[in-house]
Amino acid sequence: MISRQLSLSKNMIQFCRFLRNSGFMLNVEDEITVLNSLLFNTFIDRKLFKLTLKAVLCKSNKELNEFENLFNQYWSELGKAIESKVKTTSKPVLRQTAKDDSFKSLKSWLSGNKNEEIEQTASYSIGESLSQKDFSQVAVDELKEIMLCIKALSRKLATNLNRRYKNSNKDKFPDLRKTLRNNMRHGGELLKIFFKTPKLNRVKLVIFCDVSKSMDLYASFFLQFMHAFQQTYSRVETFAFGTTLQHITSYLKQNDISTALSLLSTKSQGWSGGTRIGASLHSFLEEYANHMLDKRTIVIILSDGWDTGAIPLLKKSMELIHHKSRKVIWLNPLAGYKLYRPDVAGMQAALPYIDVFSSVHNIDSLKKLVKWL
Amino acid sequence: MVNDNNQKLVLEDVCSMLSKTGYIADESVCMSLFLSLQLNKPLLVEGPAGVGKTEIAKVMATAMQTDLIRLQCYEGLDSTHALYEWNYQRQLLHLKMIERDNQSVEEKEKTIFGDDFLMKRPLLQAIRHHQKPVLLIDEVDRSDEEFESFLLEVLSEWQITIPETGTVKATHIPQVILTSNRTRELSDALRRRCLYLYIDYPDFEKECMIVKSKIPSIDTKFSEEICRFMQNLRNMQLEKSPGIAETLDWAMALTLLHMDHLDKTIVEKTLGVVLKDWRDTRQVQSSLGDLLEKTGVHSKLDNT
Repeated sequence: MISRQLSLSKNMIQFCRFLRNSGFMLNVEDEITVLNSLLFNTFIDRKLFKLTLKAVLCKSNKELNEFENLFNQYWSELGKAIESKVKTTSKPVLRQTAKDDSFKSLKSWLSGNKNEEIEQTASYSIGESLSQKDFSQVAVDELKEIMLCIKALSRKLATNLNRRYKNSNKDKFPDLRKTLRNNMRHGGELLKIFFKTPKLNRVKLVIFCDVSKSMDLYASFFLQFMHAFQQTYSRVETFAFGTTLQHITSYLKQNDISTALSLLSTKSQGWSGGTRIGASLHSFLEEYANHMLDKRTIVIILSDGWDTGAIPLLKKSMELIHHKSRKVIWLNPLAGYKLYRPDVAGMQAALPYIDVFSSVHNIDSLKKLVKWL
Repeated sequence: MVNDNNQKLVLEDVCSMLSKTGYIADESVCMSLFLSLQLNKPLLVEGPAGVGKTEIAKVMATAMQTDLIRLQCYEGLDSTHALYEWNYQRQLLHLKMIERDNQSVEEKEKTIFGDDFLMKRPLLQAIRHHQKPVLLIDEVDRSDEEFESFLLEVLSEWQITIPETGTVKATHIPQVILTSNRTRELSDALRRRCLYLYIDYPDFEKECMIVKSKIPSIDTKFSEEICRFMQNLRNMQLEKSPGIAETLDWAMALTLLHMDHLDKTIVEKTLGVVLKDWRDTRQVQSSLGDLLEKTGVHSKLDNT
């Protein structure tokens, strides 16, 4: 509500609250700061006054862009209130979210996004609508922005993992034992100091991406995500599977995503066909598991769980993988649907050996991934 | 809190201070710097690479006739690199030297935790500086969140506790400038404590002014040509858009080559000064004709 105020300071506080209602990040301290800052300038013109408020009250680029309109709106409404000399009411402007038609149609697609406790983990902020947009519905022009977000997210994932290792180790510190031991030849004179360096103890990741027909809508996105991830975090091994398993880490190590994708398309086999998860995982166990799986490895499977192969084989492979690794995370794009139940036979067989089962169909759900690693 | 030294400072002073040091700033930059000085609040500067974020701090230091202390952030930066560290080798050598002295253990211990053995890193340096310094915390988005929270503590308290010696309070509260390239979003808590300034690529007129002021010997028409080319270049979808730093480098390079107009061959040869990514270079090379035509160079060549 914007009402007529008699003093400048009251007006300023009202303006701050108006901005806060519009989504600005302001607290009482900012109100004090803005009043303080007004003491330093003798305001003759509106422009200078606006500039001062802008410099003090905006805390991000987004707020800078919105400020101009809100400023004009506030003072024009205040002007009206003064003219009529009665208290007028106006609804506070709520934060505008892009609600175009496609977004509305998306609403039916999305579920599980109403949870407001989603952690603010992504480091690149894009509009709310994009971060909740289903990967299968993203337009080409939005792709770039999503990619930026994915890049930031994968960097975040990588640093998150770094921090964990840092917490468990001390900073660089003199190593007394080694120092004394090595200086014994000098008769115990400490001539050379040795330091402890933190032991590298980072988690490894093995990612399986389902590229069968049923996953067509999502596979290209996952490939891009894995590419971005591979660029920032080196301890990742990536596999694609449809009817057969394919080790694609080396292709994803190409700096350029288009080179990586074209390499993948020439070398790939059995994509957009059927799915034999069991057989693929089995061949992984036979060929790669020995040097890739240990208790520091987290296995991530991106698949909808539709398996046309033998279910007992899937069950057995999952059991082995679960046993040999630290954690198995199954990300299923269909789990984003409200009505989805993991009833598919393949999913049923795998469920007992999955530590985390979750949806992965939009940026928000990818953000949640950070929590589990 | 109002800064006593700057009580009489007015906005125009800041503007003239900046222009004297050769920094072409618009009103919002002047206002932010002015308020940051007056309110004694840190200034957070964001914007693309190469638009003069770091330069602001340097200019501030020159204008305030004080020292610039710089803390370059990187992933894994921790308090030993930002605050202080004991010089272990020197401590041990010193102990060895006073081994046979008749001092008690406590006395000996006291001597090795003195100022001589303390390696001051940028934050401690800034706190103990003999005059109000400018503290530049560069690329704060590259440090991890852990360090960011640590920074919050220092920025609000302006004191540091060293367990062996006690608490050190700031003699003069430094003028802090933080810069960020937005590789990750900074925390709200840090933003709240700072004034915010966003610097974008300069528009054509401003860029021309900057080039003229940094390279006075350049021909006005030529500098306009260069700036127009750069403006067009930034409109292309490049991996790394060139900043004002690249414009200046390029203008300088072309002046050293005794050029007074742009042509296709020289642009092709010197593209490496402007573009730092091979894909960008390839992309620009393939559309160089169009680009030069937009700049108004191609038609001129045809006439000659």
